Amino acid sequence: MLVYLLKRSLQMAVVVFGVITLVFFILRIASGDPARLMNPPGQQEEIVQLTRERLGTDRPLLVQFGDYLLGLARLDLGTSFHGGQPVLDEILRTLPNTAMLAIVTIVFSSTIALILGIGAALQADKLFDRIVLVYVSLALATPSFWLAIVLVLYFSVQLRWLPAIDLVGPQSFVLPVVTLAVALTPVLIRTVRQSFLEALGDDHVRAARARGIPEHRVILIHALKVTSLPLITLIGLQLGLILAGSYVVEYIFNWPGIGKLTLDAVAGRNFPMIQGGVLVAALAFVFVNFLVDLAYAALDPRIRLSAR
Amino acid sequence: MTELTVGDTPKEPKAEATASGGRTLRRLLKRRSFVVGAAGLVLIVMIAILAPVLAGHDPNEQDLFNSLVPPAWYANGVPEYLLGTDTLGRDVASRLMYGARNSLIIATCAVLLSAVLGTLAGLFAGFTGGWWDSVIMRLGDMQLAFPFILLAIIVLGVITDRTAVHLILVLGIPGWILYARVVRSRVLSERDKDYVRAAKALGASPLRQMRKYVLPSVWRVVLVIAMLDFGFVILVEATLSFLGFGLTPPTPSWGGMLADGRKNMIIAPWLSILPGLAIMVTVLAINLTADGAAEVLDPKLKKGMFRRLRRAAPPAAQTVAASASTPRVTPSANRDTTAQFLEVRDLQVEFPLEDRTVTAVRQVSFTLERGKTLGIVGESGSGKSVTASAIIQLIDPPGRVTRGSILLEGRDLASISNKEMAQLRGKTIGMIFQNPTSSLNPVISIGAQMVETIRQHHAVSAVEAKAMATRALMDVGIGDPQGVLTRYPFHLSGGMNQRVMIALAMIAQPDLLIADEPTTALDVTTQAQILEQLRDITQERQTALILITHDIALVREYADSVVVLYAGHVCESGPVADILYDPKHPYTQALIESVPRIDLEPGERLAAIPGELPSASDTLIGCPFAPRCRHAADVCVNIEPPLIAVGEARLAACHLNEPASGHPGALKEAVRRQDDPAAS
Repeated sequence: MLVYLLKRSLQMAVVVFGVITLVFFILRIASGDPARLMNPPGQQEEIVQLTRERLGTDRPLLVQFGDYLLGLARLDLGTSFHGGQPVLDEILRTLPNTAMLAIVTIVFSSTIALILGIGAALQADKLFDRIVLVYVSLALATPSFWLAIVLVLYFSVQLRWLPAIDLVGPQSFVLPVVTLAVALTPVLIRTVRQSFLEALGDDHVRAARARGIPEHRVILIHALKVTSLPLITLIGLQLGLILAGSYVVEYIFNWPGIGKLTLDAVAGRNFPMIQGGVLVAALAFVFVNFLVDLAYAALDPRIRLSAR
Repeated sequence: MTELTVGDTPKEPKAEATASGGRTLRRLLKRRSFVVGAAGLVLIVMIAILAPVLAGHDPNEQDLFNSLVPPAWYANGVPEYLLGTDTLGRDVASRLMYGARNSLIIATCAVLLSAVLGTLAGLFAGFTGGWWDSVIMRLGDMQLAFPFILLAIIVLGVITDRTAVHLILVLGIPGWILYARVVRSRVLSERDKDYVRAAKALGASPLRQMRKYVLPSVWRVVLVIAMLDFGFVILVEATLSFLGFGLTPPTPSWGGMLADGRKNMIIAPWLSILPGLAIMVTVLAINLTADGAAEVLDPKLKKGMFRRLRRAAPPAAQTVAASASTPRVTPSANRDTTAQFLEVRDLQVEFPLEDRTVTAVRQVSFTLERGKTLGIVGESGSGKSVTASAIIQLIDPPGRVTRGSILLEGRDLASISNKEMAQLRGKTIGMIFQNPTSSLNPVISIGAQMVETIRQHHAVSAVEAKAMATRALMDVGIGDPQGVLTRYPFHLSGGMNQRVMIALAMIAQPDLLIADEPTTALDVTTQAQILEQLRDITQERQTALILITHDIALVREYADSVVVLYAGHVCESGPVADILYDPKHPYTQALIESVPRIDLEPGERLAAIPGELPSASDTLIGCPFAPRCRHAADVCVNIEPPLIAVGEARLAACHLNEPASGHPGALKEAVRRQDDPAAS
């Protein structure tokens, strides 16, 4: 277990370091000059140079990178190019909003996926199964940003039931979560349905029935426990989709989260803020996958956490 | 060891990689969803190609006098602008067509780029192996460990002048790993196949091998992944454009149009809705096409996708067209069977498939007394397991009992409700299975499974249930019951798991225990122990036992009476002692002769039964065993022999036993019997 934790942490560190390095250099090589962007067009070169010096972008790349890493070691993520507030503060302010959105989305989507997937498996090839199949096909083809707009048009503009933008209370979660769920559920439903069908055909399910275990227990305990394993793995794998989806959703619903923070920073070439956003995304990603491993080990006695 | 290694292979056409193009196309065209999707996709591609001809306006032509004109079906719409105009008075329909062009070109190029990169990387990794292989695959793992789309957003976001090339690179490069993984694994599996090794041994160069053996199997899978990836790439491209990271305006793109439309979504909702619909329809068409293609071109990849359940026909059972089923002569000796504990009468089990009906069990009858053991013997596919499933009413769908009755103490199990049956399972009828380890839930501890079962049948507390479980495990000869209770099935040997299964099945003291090949999956020494255990526990509790086996030697040892099944038919039934010493059916005789004996003379060969079980596609005329029978005559091929009495409590279905059947051997046999009355 200890060896596993060590190896796993090392792997995570490598991935995170790779990502932040990549982003650091891409930003500085591929992007336009933020100092010029921050000054009005036609500004005197001397003044632009002063801005560069203030931002620190005039120094050699490797010096900047070294500084950045030294800062990271002290948990200092730098300060925003615009306004000068510490990046860490901004992240800590917005992270809970994104985390809440993601957690509500995952819980909601898994519940829906379990209900629809198991229902479809139990009714395989019958009407309900067909309806779920149609939903899956349509949802897979639906662009999230478009769905968000359509939902806003209908539920906020036309019916005036739900807020169109901003986080103003629990009702604000409805449209963003539904938007994300429609992106997330098709893949989950497919997996639940397939693995549940396989589980229902398993020898042990038949044996459980043969020794008189009632059908609801066979389905809700024996088959479900086996089905939950692939579902958990898949949620870990889909986290990228959830994160990317939350960028879009936060952008549209003006949600005060990490996604909106990062997108705004991209638009303003706010390098430290972009780097902070990417770092958080990378950390979240490796952390959730680590949780998935732990959950897997807890649910499946056959898995012993070992260094892969 | 005594397994008859015959007739076990279902004859299904293999989905060979060499299927001709014409056949593949025909199979594709049979799928409605594929046809709809492909037709839609072709239409969209045509529109994109012909955009300059079809579009009524230049996509960037502004007409500020006609800004925000609604589509033609609105009251103030005009036919000139069929789908309306945007804020700058540009024609939405024309922009959508040109947008299709841009989306499709970018997505196609990106997918091609991923496919080429990934295929090359996969081929290279697979062929060179070793260090390069692990570097490439590690790189892929790293990449998969991070949501690449976030990086794409950032890269495109900070580039000042975005062109289609930037988009193609950013969308295309990350996809390589999808292809590389699959291609690499295909290369590895192809490389280990005998014919490729042989080619290598003969000096074929790696390049030649690749072209000749690997590429043909790889291109299909690459094509399928590319199709599945295509729709996703279009969605991502649209998302990037929507966020403002796509093609630099005013180049029309669906995502960009949507972003523009959003600014006026309240006064001009069509500007937001129409581009979204275009994206959705396109992606839907692509996905439908891809799903259909995946199922036909590469069924292995389809795992996890929706698909029609294809139920495997039970191998080697009789197929009868429903109308052509020949009524069999009712057994003339349907003996008086009042007060039997279990009586199966005239049982027929059918599996209705899409185009035909497979009859797995036909006219099977037998009886069993309390405390006795009945052996059911037959090869794989003879219908013995289906018979057992029918008794406990757990036949795999779509199979069902179509005729006959299963009377347990006078109650017909074939006609009682599911609810009533569920109450009998475990309580009155117990069952143990061929694969003990897979018959226990892999992720629930033995203890939890036992406690669950005990509390289902006895009103006891969890603590009492645990104590009962411990005793039950001791009763089946488990030395360390406490330890076993905390274990999971994968911790234990097959023999141990089978003991657990026996303990579980005996928990509610059932009156009938069905053991379906209980020792087939176990090694020989364990076999004997398990069977002894089974015999002891059933005798002690006066439980009737049905022992299903392919091994007639086991029946000799453990059963009181026996039913021999062949292709779903009863060949012969009666007391074990009589049948084993004087079989009345050539199949029974052949089974007995194929058992290895210790007294075999040196040089004497063990008899094997030539031929194999009739396959599921054969129609039933005559005796099912006739093709393999050494006594077969014309009558056997044409007329099915009825099951008739051939002695005290004995039935057999062979023309040899009917003097009037017209079988040339029958008369001789009758004479022989008369000469030797002891034989009957």
